[in-house]
Amino acid sequence: MAHRKMMRVLLVEDEEINRLELAQVVARAALKAAAGGGDDDLVLDEAENGAAAVQRVRDAATAAAAPYDLILMDKQMPVMDGHEATRRIRGMGVTTPIVAVSSDGLPADVEAFVAAGADDFTSKPLSKEKLGDILAKFRLA
Amino acid sequence: MAESKLSPLQWWTEELFLEEEYRDTAAVVSSAGHHRRLSLSPRVVKEKGYLDEQFCQVEDLQDEASPNFVEEVVTLFFKDSGRLMSNIEQALIGASRMKNECMSFRDSCGQGNVEGCMRSFQKVKREHAILRQKLESYFQLLRQAGPAGAATRPVM
Repeated sequence: MAHRKMMRVLLVEDEEINRLELAQVVARAALKAAAGGGDDDLVLDEAENGAAAVQRVRDAATAAAAPYDLILMDKQMPVMDGHEATRRIRGMGVTTPIVAVSSDGLPADVEAFVAAGADDFTSKPLSKEKLGDILAKFRLA
Repeated sequence: MAESKLSPLQWWTEELFLEEEYRDTAAVVSSAGHHRRLSLSPRVVKEKGYLDEQFCQVEDLQDEASPNFVEEVVTLFFKDSGRLMSNIEQALIGASRMKNECMSFRDSCGQGNVEGCMRSFQKVKREHAILRQKLESYFQLLRQAGPAGAATRPVM
């Protein structure tokens, strides 16, 4: 049996409707990759705020589970926002690509995310095409 | 044309968008049941301004693994938007209540009613605090809505 690589993605988004759409976009991209001869299985985790995301990343780093391959991070969230969550994840020494997904696309917002440690920024809604670009950029597809 | 059973969302969509001027372009098949098969141009739906390209992208995400995906998204949209509109409405009601308490306070002052003034002033303070909290929530919701709905946080 051929070994299948696991791709682990963490969706960080407080609004359920956005999580639903994001999850579907990511799942479809993974399916497409598999249909095209890719060898990745997808594990999709979700966090409703930045604090939960930080905990998820910490758990993945310390437990036997593999670290995340990609983190999609919203900006405005209760408890802890995306900027702070990104800073804390980077503070743990985690180098997983973090892509900010936000409706606030002003240059100042993008710069703030990059300054916090994000690798890229994309605006909502996240389309299949945008996700394809992200996966290609970080060599995940 | 074969009759096709429509999902609740499809039936709702076609009922909402089918208007008299477009009936000539629709093929209506009468049936014994309450479902109708209509040939409705997506162009019509967008031209009327009810839905835009983003809705089509959501439709495109629906597949055999998630056959009710569009309906789930629409259901969540109305649940969230209903809650948000209710929050905004409650915030606006607060302004009226504070005004009423201010008027009571003014009346008590005008009457030289010291005790009444003290009571009214406490109510003004309470309504002021409630209003501030609700307006802060209101502007936070606007910021969450994105740049189009963004508002400068007022100095309070």
